[in-house]
Amino acid sequence: MSELKNQEENNLQNTNYWKSFEELYRDQKTITASHHEFQEGVTDDFDPDKNLTGISRRRFLALLGASAAFAGAGCSEYPDKGAIIPYNKKPEEVVLGKANYYASTCTGCSSACGILIKTREGRPIKVDGNPDHPVSQGKICSQGQASILNLYDPSRLKDPMVYKDGFWNKEPWGKIDQDILAILKSAQGKEISIITRNVTSPTFKKLLSEFSGKFGNTKVYSYEIFNNLSKESAWQKCYPGTSIPAINWEGAKVIVSFEGDFLGVEGNKIEQSRMFAANRDVNNPSGFNRLYVAESNMSLTGTNADHRIRIPLAGQSELLLAVVNELALDQTVGSKLNATLKNLASGYSLSNIAQKYKLNISVLKAMITDLVKNQGKSVVFGGRLLTESEHIVINGINDALGNNSLFIEPHVQQINPATLQELKELTDRMKQGSIHAAIVVDCNPVYEFPSDLKVMDALKKVDYVISLSEFSNETTSVSKIVLPISHTFESWGDHQTRHGHYSLQQPVIAPLYGTRQKEAIILNFLNEKPSAYTGEDYHKYLMENWRTNVYPLSNSIFGFEKYWLGVLHDGVLTLRIKSNASYSLSDSAFTGIQLRKESSGYALVLAESPHIKDGRFAHNGWLQELPHPVTKVTWDNYAAVSYDTAVKLGVKTNDLVKISGGGDSLEVPVLVQPGLADNHVIIELGYGRTNSHIVADGAGFNANIFLKSSGSTPFTLSEISVSKAGGKYSIVSTQDHHTYDEDLIKDIHEKRGIIREGTLSQFVADPDFLHHGKTHAHVNMYEDHEYDHVKWGMAIDLNKCIGCGDCTVACNVENNIPVVGKDQVERGRDMLWLRIDRYYSGPPEEPKVSFQPMLCQHCDQAPCENVCPVVATTHSPDGLNQMVYNRCVGTRYCSNNCPYKVRRFNYYNFRDHFAEGHYLADSLELLHNPEVTVRSRGVMEKCTFCIQRISDARAEAIEKGVALTGEEVKTACQEACVTNAIKFGSVNNTNSELYKYRNHKLGYHVLEELNTRPNVTYVAKLKNTFSEEA
Amino acid sequence: MSNSFIDYILRVRLPITIFVIVSSFALTYFLSRGERDGIGYQPDQPIDFSHALHAGQMGIDCQYCHTSVEKSRHAGIPPVETCMNCHSVARKDKPQIIKLTTHYKEGKPLEWNRIHKVPEYAYFNHSVHVNKGIDCASCHGEVKQMEKVAQVNRFTMGACLDCHRNPAEKMPYLKNVKNGPDYCWACHR
Repeated sequence: MSELKNQEENNLQNTNYWKSFEELYRDQKTITASHHEFQEGVTDDFDPDKNLTGISRRRFLALLGASAAFAGAGCSEYPDKGAIIPYNKKPEEVVLGKANYYASTCTGCSSACGILIKTREGRPIKVDGNPDHPVSQGKICSQGQASILNLYDPSRLKDPMVYKDGFWNKEPWGKIDQDILAILKSAQGKEISIITRNVTSPTFKKLLSEFSGKFGNTKVYSYEIFNNLSKESAWQKCYPGTSIPAINWEGAKVIVSFEGDFLGVEGNKIEQSRMFAANRDVNNPSGFNRLYVAESNMSLTGTNADHRIRIPLAGQSELLLAVVNELALDQTVGSKLNATLKNLASGYSLSNIAQKYKLNISVLKAMITDLVKNQGKSVVFGGRLLTESEHIVINGINDALGNNSLFIEPHVQQINPATLQELKELTDRMKQGSIHAAIVVDCNPVYEFPSDLKVMDALKKVDYVISLSEFSNETTSVSKIVLPISHTFESWGDHQTRHGHYSLQQPVIAPLYGTRQKEAIILNFLNEKPSAYTGEDYHKYLMENWRTNVYPLSNSIFGFEKYWLGVLHDGVLTLRIKSNASYSLSDSAFTGIQLRKESSGYALVLAESPHIKDGRFAHNGWLQELPHPVTKVTWDNYAAVSYDTAVKLGVKTNDLVKISGGGDSLEVPVLVQPGLADNHVIIELGYGRTNSHIVADGAGFNANIFLKSSGSTPFTLSEISVSKAGGKYSIVSTQDHHTYDEDLIKDIHEKRGIIREGTLSQFVADPDFLHHGKTHAHVNMYEDHEYDHVKWGMAIDLNKCIGCGDCTVACNVENNIPVVGKDQVERGRDMLWLRIDRYYSGPPEEPKVSFQPMLCQHCDQAPCENVCPVVATTHSPDGLNQMVYNRCVGTRYCSNNCPYKVRRFNYYNFRDHFAEGHYLADSLELLHNPEVTVRSRGVMEKCTFCIQRISDARAEAIEKGVALTGEEVKTACQEACVTNAIKFGSVNNTNSELYKYRNHKLGYHVLEELNTRPNVTYVAKLKNTFSEEA
Repeated sequence: MSNSFIDYILRVRLPITIFVIVSSFALTYFLSRGERDGIGYQPDQPIDFSHALHAGQMGIDCQYCHTSVEKSRHAGIPPVETCMNCHSVARKDKPQIIKLTTHYKEGKPLEWNRIHKVPEYAYFNHSVHVNKGIDCASCHGEVKQMEKVAQVNRFTMGACLDCHRNPAEKMPYLKNVKNGPDYCWACHR
């Protein structure tokens, strides 16, 4: 008995009760701490400055006062409903609650697309394309849409600043103008340099030349990182005296692109995407075009290719010459090919190339056959990564194929871009101290110039650096004077990028802060009367220029004032002047063609970010958070490498690697990107900003250090060294990266019929091929509803969808969708109502890529509706899946039960949560669409099919006394879709385009077997692969 | 304490107290309901504008001032400019008109006290109702007879649905009237 008792006592003594894991695993610190009665530091002297919460006495009193005021406000008379403050004098065009649209021009890039700015009671809230614009034709890209966020950005520069004695001081415009004028006048023969981005405005060009005339030794440098210098110099050699024309892509049956991301970042995206997708019409299978892309990167264009040829950059020259050699075998083409070129190419054969780079010879052969067959109906396109010589070869090929017949009006270059040589001379002169003043107009040389020019050091030797900028950036921080400039929507301007086409830019809101538009600032110096500035100066200057230079060309029957107002209203002017440009190839172009040097080792490619471009949109939260079209990564750049290269380097996604080349080195995380050429490292630029903006700073890595002024193009660097650096980083994407060979998830989108694809020839042979073997017998648990009036539905034509993401941004702007920040995206809390899913299939070396816009499917039998305990999500009689915010209590059952995973939960008031409440600022309230609720913490939300637009259309129908047909409504994504892939309307309207697509033989629903009966129909993608008989 | 006293409290005092509390709460709840919903709310306005005089006696149409009621969600409170259409001449010497003119000349808007309000999460649309032939008075009461405007009807969801579900009964002057929508996104979005 006593033995037993002893045992029990023993047991009790040894029982291991524990309070924490540290204790359980006998952490030394915890054991030491447990021997002391108090924790370390408890007995230290009390220091009120150190130990209190940091709230000063003054702040405490302020908070006390505030809480008293709040308590008081709570007790105020409860029926009080606030005030209604009408206008004193109402502007005639304003109808409360109705939007006004003003035509203007986007200045986001050199394309200068026409836009319509939607304003409500005088404040701009959305940007749409201007349908009258001959080039952009009613569409506008993500950057143009998101640019509205910049207008209300609380971090905009608001006052002129001068750097004096180590401090930035605010100064009034009047004084600063006087000072700058004095500086300009005291140049005494030293150079005044104006550095700007690409200029598309003829009036600004005139202003700059007048400025140069007035202030003696003035030089203008227009520079952008992503220029087309090699292409342009090649063009000048081939067709001297002409400028590069736009191409009629719609006329092309075959498109061959060499490193050319013409659907993505090569410029003029809107027009090119529209024309490309026009020939992807499932109702006209014989009109399909075929796209071949030969590239090292995995570009958006490459993912859309019917045949993608994965070839390292170093192989491009050989491939091009092999193509020439093969084409020369055809009699008609061969006879038109330049003899020098033919001679040069004679040693190259496709089969050798195919063997060397492990290419599919039948694809290459097919490409040649297609090109020969479609002479005059094909486009061979080269991207900016190609060298001048390679572009010359491409020009030769196009010329021989007769593709020059597809050239339309030529581009107009207002100011020729500065060559790298000119930039080098500029920085050299700066370093010698022979530049008096550098006026930096809305650009950022410190960040953008090739790094070997050391422009930061050079600017320090310039007497005066004057920056005109909307936001602080790397260059403003080394300037002496910083002048804040107005946003595009607060400015006047005109633009001409094509022969015969002009567009106007007008302010739609008075400057929110004490800013002036950049042109007006320069005009003010020209006028030499700084104190007389009115804000209308540049407007008058612009009108005067049009009166003398454009009006006479128009042969208008109206007087100038009336004519001007007419053009302003339309936003565009098309002159009926034929360009008499003719393109006869100069034979001398082909002498001195230099081939790309063979290089072993790693090659670095610096690519443009599809969303934040060269960094000019890095401060835009919407664009930072917009998933990369191919990798789906947000908020970062990375070193993309192929699967094999990653294995060779011994790294995985998120591992840091050290990249050294050209005397610089950088540690970046790796992202394993299927489909890349081996031994290539691809880094996108625009990230890694410093001293700029709370949103931009700290996102990604600055790879601009690898931009060099020597070499064929600044975007490639060969013979770099790459090594594992040790350490990890977290790249965040909106779609999970899975390992390729995991059996469970491999090709799941195909197994479950999420993505269904076929080839064009398959479709032509058997139009019903998609639906063979479909045997689902649908059993309903519920009674069917009758939808006898309008029932809303959407169809998305995946043949036209190129996966660019413009629709997502349009949705963000329209529906007040917040920016959540990288940490929240990492937790899967991104708020995009409309996302674009990207699926890979096939081998990681040559993956097939499929895109699928995914949004609320508005299922007839929606699984979310059944599980909501508070009936916050229900079905409407017009077939919409309704979400009611003020009823939602945030159980998230609906999201859990949604098979499409399109519901988004507000884990925070994200405006408050992100970047210290950056997007909670008062100015941002002006941005919100007043027709859409601004959701706060704790509620679920999702795509509404733009219910506010449907309601508007219904109100309008009632006003007119007609019935809704469904054709009245355009959703925001549909309106934005460059390629018109999205159709919206009433399912019951048999005459509608939607009806046609919804009942198309290629139409299918995602996860049909669940019997949710979605109202979003996808039209299966057809690849137009080469087949002998076609 | 004697048992009978506790017994008395439990049997008599407690039920009476509970009855008084419950009944007074219920009475207050139902009696004050209208007031809590805003019925009878009649705040002072910056200008003693009389609808009875303008709309009633002089017969000016509602839409002369509330211009956007047929076109937009908002009926629109008229800008000072609209008043001045007449009052730049009429009754210029009256103190209220002098106040009005001062506002106009100084470019200062008038801050009217809001009387009718649906919550911000309901997107009420004036134009669809007015274009269906519904009289302003059906919701706003006989404003034409009000010296100083007051709220006469409830503006609650219940009140909305009352009409949406029984329009013929509530608005007998409308012929062939159909039920109004009663799904969530008709108003909330």
